[in-house]
Amino acid sequence: MYTVSELNRTAKGLLESEFSAVWIRGEVSEFTRAPSGHLYLTLKDDAAEIGCVRFRSHSSALPQVPIAVGAIVLALGRVTLYEPRGRYQFIASVIHPVGAGALQEAFERLKRKLLEEGLFDPSHKKPLPVIPRHIGVITSPTGAAIRDIVSVISRRWPLSRVTLYPSSVQGESAPQELIAAIDAAERFSSTVEPIDVLIVGRGGGSAEDLMAFNEEQVARRIFACPIPTVSAVGHEVDFTILDFVADVRAPTPSAAAELVVPDQAEVLASLSTLAARMTRACTHALAARRLHLQANLRTSLFRIPQQKVQTLDQRLDQLITTVMTRMQAALRTRCDAFSHLSGVLRLSDPERPLQHGFSLTFVPGSTVPVSDASSLAAGDRIETRFARGRTRSLVEEVITE
Amino acid sequence: MNIDESLEKLQDIATRLEQKDIPLDRAIALFEEGLSLAATIKEALEQAKLRMETVVEKTKGTFSLDAFDLS
Repeated sequence: MYTVSELNRTAKGLLESEFSAVWIRGEVSEFTRAPSGHLYLTLKDDAAEIGCVRFRSHSSALPQVPIAVGAIVLALGRVTLYEPRGRYQFIASVIHPVGAGALQEAFERLKRKLLEEGLFDPSHKKPLPVIPRHIGVITSPTGAAIRDIVSVISRRWPLSRVTLYPSSVQGESAPQELIAAIDAAERFSSTVEPIDVLIVGRGGGSAEDLMAFNEEQVARRIFACPIPTVSAVGHEVDFTILDFVADVRAPTPSAAAELVVPDQAEVLASLSTLAARMTRACTHALAARRLHLQANLRTSLFRIPQQKVQTLDQRLDQLITTVMTRMQAALRTRCDAFSHLSGVLRLSDPERPLQHGFSLTFVPGSTVPVSDASSLAAGDRIETRFARGRTRSLVEEVITE
Repeated sequence: MNIDESLEKLQDIATRLEQKDIPLDRAIALFEEGLSLAATIKEALEQAKLRMETVVEKTKGTFSLDAFDLS
């Protein structure tokens, strides 16, 4: 008679000696990556199934195997029995997918499943902030992606802050690390400082390199993330599942950075436009009042003595000069960068040069000053305006230079 | 006030200045305010240097921030 322990131990010995290195073929029906890095899967065929493990010690040495539910795989390993539970299982050292089509099929199946569940639905897409103050990035700290993102953001909008949540982006542990990084970003955002947008990605790579971004668990975690997300997986033709589930898809990490921040050159240009609009509006307001007042003065010309008219005219000039000076002072003290605008403003006041001894010459009846001597001829009558007063003269000679 | 609010405010000031019957004193005050806003935004942008950090979660809920050096 055997004790339970003895039976299990004996059975284990028999199994291990009989099946020390065998290949099996089966369809993956269940599949989990444990945080420890071990891979647990169930392989099945039409009539039976078997539990499989691939331990981390094996997996860390190998490139990540693109495994997904539904894929047909070939596995090399041994059969053993886990004594404490009396459970019989297959310990794989190598797992190969059979045919590239299997992977594509699994991708399409997952895509369809998540689509039907509504994970890609536009109604779930969160809008990106207009200008993010704090940008979270989930990628490898040593990859090209973080360099590209940082370089684009520091060029376009250095006012933002970038925080990296490091994660490996390929290999067996990548999916768990990505999920842990999203967890960390979310907790950081809610407990320490809000994150306005989260970029998740990596540079380009082979289909196998991008596997982590096609994991169902990663997709569901991104979907559940309350921070707006941008997928930034560098690849040219294909999409990843992440692209569908993120709020916004960018084709590369650099493109993601361009998407989330405005360009300071554009903002500065719009600042100049706004400043010019303000200056123009103020100048117009002044000109309109000047016309209005002058019209009033003219109509009252017959009713009030000459002297009073002159006093009023002078006061009007003083008022306008005061306002202009204030505008120019505002321009000068506020911002030297807008000195070209104050230049524009100064030019728009034709009276100002007169204060410095310049004069304006008119042909009587015209309101446009003469700027070209050849438009005059000897014997023409001209009127010259000074800062104070005017003269009328006859042209003696025209000299064109 | 953050930058997007400042930009929006500036936009609003320019629009108000363009209204026909705005009192002159009000116009000048708005003009000064607008220029001051524009200068602030410009200065902030010119002085800005991107701040980068790496976050590592220590135990649940506590974080350590390290300056992130790309070189």
